Amino acid sequence: MLTRSVPRRTTATPGGAYPWPVPKVYPWLRGHPTLVDGMLAVALFLASISELFLAGIAGGPNWPPGVVVGTAVFSAGLAVTVVPRRRYPEAAFAVAIALVAAQVAIGMQPNNTTPPVRALEPSAADAAILVLVYTLAAYRPRRISVTGLAVTLLAVAAAIGRWAPAYAPHPGAPLLGAVVGLGGSALIAWVLGDHIAYRRAYYASLEDRAEQAEAERDAQARVAAAAERARELQERRARAVDESAARLRRIERDLHDGAQVRLAALALALGEIKENLAAAAGRADDDGRITLLVGAAHENAKQTLAELRDLARGIHPPVLDRGLGAALSTLAEASAIPVALSVSIAQRPSLAIESIAYFCAAELLANVTKHSGARRATISVSDQGGRILITVTDDGAGGARLAPGGGLAGLLERVQTIDGHLEVDSPPGGPTIVTIELPSHA
Amino acid sequence: MRPSPLRIVIAEDAAIMRDGLTQTLTRRGHHVVAAVADAEALRQAVDTHLPDVAIIDVRMPPTHTDEGLRAAQAIHNDHPKVGVLVFSQYIETQSAAELFAGAPAGVGYLLKDRVADVSEFIEAISRVAHGGTVLDPEVVRQLLRASRRGDSLASLTPREREVLSLMAQGRSNTAIADMLVISPRVVEKHVASIFAKLGLAPSDNDNRRVIAALKYLEF
Repeated sequence: MLTRSVPRRTTATPGGAYPWPVPKVYPWLRGHPTLVDGMLAVALFLASISELFLAGIAGGPNWPPGVVVGTAVFSAGLAVTVVPRRRYPEAAFAVAIALVAAQVAIGMQPNNTTPPVRALEPSAADAAILVLVYTLAAYRPRRISVTGLAVTLLAVAAAIGRWAPAYAPHPGAPLLGAVVGLGGSALIAWVLGDHIAYRRAYYASLEDRAEQAEAERDAQARVAAAAERARELQERRARAVDESAARLRRIERDLHDGAQVRLAALALALGEIKENLAAAAGRADDDGRITLLVGAAHENAKQTLAELRDLARGIHPPVLDRGLGAALSTLAEASAIPVALSVSIAQRPSLAIESIAYFCAAELLANVTKHSGARRATISVSDQGGRILITVTDDGAGGARLAPGGGLAGLLERVQTIDGHLEVDSPPGGPTIVTIELPSHA
Repeated sequence: MRPSPLRIVIAEDAAIMRDGLTQTLTRRGHHVVAAVADAEALRQAVDTHLPDVAIIDVRMPPTHTDEGLRAAQAIHNDHPKVGVLVFSQYIETQSAAELFAGAPAGVGYLLKDRVADVSEFIEAISRVAHGGTVLDPEVVRQLLRASRRGDSLASLTPREREVLSLMAQGRSNTAIADMLVISPRVVEKHVASIFAKLGLAPSDNDNRRVIAALKYLEF
């Protein structure tokens, strides 16, 4: 199997989605969230402190030092809760709520003055709670963020409950302002966060789909590459098969033109010598030993000729050059049992395929003669849609099997190397039908 | 008995074989009027010399497949009096059958190896030159073995099969008698018996009997 790493989809280049160039600060800031949150905390703290002092400078109520210090400490505490908000949102929220609760509980002195004197003034730092509600909604499951929102709204209600009497007897407008301002802010913070969470989920699903599409594209590319490779290998195999067939023909031709003809000439010469010696046998100078030696040499030459012929024919029967029909007919004639042959091929297959078809038929026929006890056999060859079909049938004992290591299995293996098939139908008692299918071209 | 000299054309692309045959035939008193290396030259030589017999190799240039066979058939058609002896490195029954189709008088088909038995080979050339028929023993063996007439052939005695085989090779009764070391009269008796068993019409003519035997074997 091909293993190849799938490249992760690269995120859009910074600024790509904006009409104006975005400074590199953006991605840098995104890489340092704690720093951003720290800056937010400092801003919240400074805002609440400045509020405290600006009120005094502007001629507002002058807070006693205790109130100033207490408020500053509480504001600092609240501001700090936003720093770990991303990593520990629930804990940060719980701490902030505890601080707010303390503020509400001990921060108000209802003494009927207007404005009321507050020991611990709610400040800009209370916005930290909004940041945390937003954070919960954005990063935490909705169950948790809704709980956080409810707790916040409860705290708002408690604060208003504590404040309201201070505005009596005309609490209407400030009360409404407090309800809308505080409760509304909390709700908006939650909705913003929830929206962000939704967007993030949406983006994630988009990215997933994009990744899936990419994976599919990759898979398709791999399939296409594999198909291309298979085609290439097929071509190479066809070339190899054709080349090897051509080489065998060359070897046979070389034998025929070289060794075989020389040996035949040698046998002719030896035959001449033998006959001349025999004619001279009556004379006194004849050497019986020489006659014997020449006779043996003559026999050897003839024997070698026969062996060489069988060898050459095993390499490539020259009659194949005249087509499968001629070759099979010669094969059938040489068979030890009568063979009915029918060859109907509209288009000659490649030489290599003809050779393979011939040797398959030869081996099947040899099997029939050796093992089946058949009285006759038929060989039929036809072509159909670019495939060559060879069927060898005999009326023998049957029971032929594709046993591992057997002759038929070897034949199957050979035809499979060129995408051929072999089927054996041989019930006990016969008849046996072996069918081989070959492509017209390797 | 020295046979009368024959006028012979040899067509064989291997020089060593061509020369060997020429020398052997010349030593035996025959006239090799032309020795050529391809079918085209063979046709010309035969047209020019009208020899008694042409000895033709099956595989010759340019394609080295069956040029010799085609040329032999053409010569046999154009000049029925010129004997054609085709010799081949391999027994190709189909080639032999094509060659013997029609009138197989003055036609021979032999395995190339047979040149080694020089006298027999020259005797075969002589038979073909005189309008006889020569078929390689190996072809005859295959015919007898794979014949669909196996049942009636099985009714022959071993000796009769032997005689039938020699007859199918194109041998005369006298030759058969010599080879089997029996008298010609005994050969006659065997032949009569064979023809009776196979249901063939008897004939006195050697060559006609050969043809009848080959027809029977569905050659």
